[in-house]
Amino acid sequence: MLQQRVITWLDERLDLSDVKHFIAEKGVPVHTQKVWYYLGGMTLFLLGIQVATGILLLLYYRPSAEEAYESVQFIVSEVEFGWLIRNMHSWSANLLIAAAIAHMFSVVFLRAYRKPRELTWLSGIGLLFLMFGFGFSGYLLPWNELAFFATKVGTGIAGAVPVVGKFMLRFLRGGDDVTGATLSRFYALHVAVFPMLMTAFLGLHLLLVQRQGMSVPINVEKQLREGARLRQIPFVPNYVLRDVLLWYVALAILAALAALSPWELGRKADPFAPVPAGIRPEWYFLAMFYTLKLIPSHVLIIEGEQLGVIVFGLAAVILILLPFLDRRSSRAEPNPFVTWAGVAALIYLVVFTIVGYLTA
Amino acid sequence: MPSPRTVDMASTDGRLERRKFLDMLLATGFVSTILAFVYPVWRYLIPPATGEPTIASVVAAKASELKPNSGVIFKFGGKPGILVRTPEGELRAFSAICTHLDCTVQYKGDTSQLWCACHNGIYDLGGNNVAGPPPRPLEKFVVNLRGEPGNEDVVVSRA
Amino acid sequence: MLQGGLLKPVADFADDVHRQRGFSCVDCHGGDPAATERAKAKDPARGYRGMPKGAEVIAICARCHSDAEFMHRYAPRQRVDQASEYASSVHGKRLAAGDTGVATCVSCHRNHGIRLVSDAKSPVFPTNVATTCGSCHSSPDHMKRYMGANGTPLATNQRAEYEQSVHFAAMTKRNDLSAPTCNDCHGNHGAAPPGVGNVANVCGTCHAIFQAKFEQSTHKDVFDRGCVECHNNHAVLQTSDEMLGTGPKAICSSCHADKSEYGYMAAEKMRALIETLKGTLERDGALIADVRNAGLQVSAQELALGEARNRLTLARAEIHATNPALVEPIVGEGIKILAGVHRAGDQGLAELRFRRQGLFASLGAILLVVVALALKIKQMDRGTTH
Repeated sequence: MLQQRVITWLDERLDLSDVKHFIAEKGVPVHTQKVWYYLGGMTLFLLGIQVATGILLLLYYRPSAEEAYESVQFIVSEVEFGWLIRNMHSWSANLLIAAAIAHMFSVVFLRAYRKPRELTWLSGIGLLFLMFGFGFSGYLLPWNELAFFATKVGTGIAGAVPVVGKFMLRFLRGGDDVTGATLSRFYALHVAVFPMLMTAFLGLHLLLVQRQGMSVPINVEKQLREGARLRQIPFVPNYVLRDVLLWYVALAILAALAALSPWELGRKADPFAPVPAGIRPEWYFLAMFYTLKLIPSHVLIIEGEQLGVIVFGLAAVILILLPFLDRRSSRAEPNPFVTWAGVAALIYLVVFTIVGYLTA
Repeated sequence: MPSPRTVDMASTDGRLERRKFLDMLLATGFVSTILAFVYPVWRYLIPPATGEPTIASVVAAKASELKPNSGVIFKFGGKPGILVRTPEGELRAFSAICTHLDCTVQYKGDTSQLWCACHNGIYDLGGNNVAGPPPRPLEKFVVNLRGEPGNEDVVVSRA
Repeated sequence: MLQGGLLKPVADFADDVHRQRGFSCVDCHGGDPAATERAKAKDPARGYRGMPKGAEVIAICARCHSDAEFMHRYAPRQRVDQASEYASSVHGKRLAAGDTGVATCVSCHRNHGIRLVSDAKSPVFPTNVATTCGSCHSSPDHMKRYMGANGTPLATNQRAEYEQSVHFAAMTKRNDLSAPTCNDCHGNHGAAPPGVGNVANVCGTCHAIFQAKFEQSTHKDVFDRGCVECHNNHAVLQTSDEMLGTGPKAICSSCHADKSEYGYMAAEKMRALIETLKGTLERDGALIADVRNAGLQVSAQELALGEARNRLTLARAEIHATNPALVEPIVGEGIKILAGVHRAGDQGLAELRFRRQGLFASLGAILLVVVALALKIKQMDRGTTH
């Protein structure tokens, strides 16, 4: 067989015994919670779609205030299948972030971040924040009215950060206001800075997952220590085929969304136009956006928006440091507090996103 | 694809047949889906006939085609513009959309004015509304010449 | 120290344009400001005039305002014919006949506190004119002594009617100060109602194209009150296509009620033409909007839609000639343009159908893979349970 001959040819030159051994040995644990293992692979697949369609969009996109909108319009209307590529990119971005958030919550509820996987957690949170960065910067790139004003509001929130806010606002916008300079910056972030960081974080994340194998829930681990045998299925090919099957399903959903529900381009951004009604950020920022809107303008001596930004900053720090704060899980003891906090966070996010969507 | 571990020891001829059929089905599926992905991408890579997106500016006419004291309508995005050569020979361009009720204005040679036939709106050659119902002047565009002397294109762009 | 009755005139005079130019009380009221005794200061022999009334007001203002040489020193572009115009007005004629109830200069411009016409606080600034005229003309009490040609008192509802008009809306909502108010049709100093037969000329100063079309109409010799017959005089309402034809809101059928009569058929025909173009425009506009939302390039079609919309506007102007034969070719051009738009829209829809078919083909292939994979996994798992 040709396949066998190619492998033999490579083996004679590179010595593939390590790889062969790894593949033969790698297994995926089988237990009641195993369904959550698919979320990581799904996130990775959607990220791949983003990279592929993103590179394709680069062929025709032009990052300037004068041409950005027109070039996107050109892509969706003049370039053959341009509508498909652009719609896939927009839809996949949203599904990707949804998958990543779900992946994170599953890790929290299964305590998969506990010792020895703190580094995997840290790189994962880095990836999640990078994806928010991708989403925020990419939203502006078509230079349409909605994105323009949403970016104005979004960067304005950065301006509320204590002490460094003013600097951050100017730094993000490339000036005092959202202009073509902002577009250039966001473009550079979206296609150069973030992808570079993404590659590093993703490499680390995947390397750690392979090195340490899949985490199992605390109760399963306990049974193992008591002498139970860990049921596993081989990663190749049994598990890989399952992954591929789900990817195909995702692809079908994406294709249907892209073809049947095209992402609207709207009107070109006009900095002098009045703010149109219904300005709201992408759904994954809605909960935060709506919370900031609810906080009164002054709480005691501190400005309301500033207070909100400080609270969200603290929440982010707690999230990052979760494996180090949750000492009980690291000792393989149950910690219901994390579960309750996770459920509360999930309810808060869902409710505020929905209410924010309905009221904006 | 089959590895030693997946060989079914109890396979009969019927099972082998079914497995072969399944593998063939899978291969057909893979190949056709891959074609379905590659085909759009391949078509996407082919440069479209219209060249490039240039909505911010447009070639309105050849400079030599436009005689003094005349005007010509050109397409600017989805909207009409009017390129004018004044009796003195100067080139000017405006949006051809009358500011009253969005009719298309035209050049009126006998008075050297821009005229809207719908309600007799009149603009001077600076685009200013001078008579009739138009409430505002016409939007003004920037005119540049590009190309070899004697055969220049008139390039009109938004101010 | 000033007291009582003199406080107000002096306070008002502080903002008066005449004071800013260096004039004072004596320039109108006469008398001797240098005199210390009341009797000497207000001595008619020394030119004291007291409070002028009626024709005296005109005379005092006209002393300067009808003197071209004098006015040239202060306002070189200002006209100096106000007094003679006033004499030709209904106000002026009645004043000459001894009626002191009519408006004089001060009724509209105020007595003390006179401001430039361009001053927004002036009672004769465009946005204030209707209120100023209405202070007499909207008062039934004031107007009851004035009879119209038919012997009944003059109407007092002009201001209320005007405030329903498109002209009032343009002035107050769009801040278009060039929109007409009372004096733009009636004149200001020479105020008089436009005579029968002149209405089209008055309206035509702005609505020239409609006047030109109306001149071609057979109604030109029939409509005593010209434009007003259909559009009213003071309450010039927002027009609509419903005014044309023979429907419930149609004006044509108020005279042309007989179905077998030419006018009835002509009105119906013109309305049908307009509606056909409008309907086609709406249908094809929606088609192109659908195609654009799906991401197809439609700028050429949008241009053509604009051209067709032009034809609708032209046709709406053309109906004022009240001749269907003139409207028909314009509507025909519009329909022809829209036929091209419709073809392009259909092509766009065909492209969208192609996209859907492509999608379903790929979904079919994906489904095949998913099913085959599921079977394969099942088969594989049977052989491997660790």
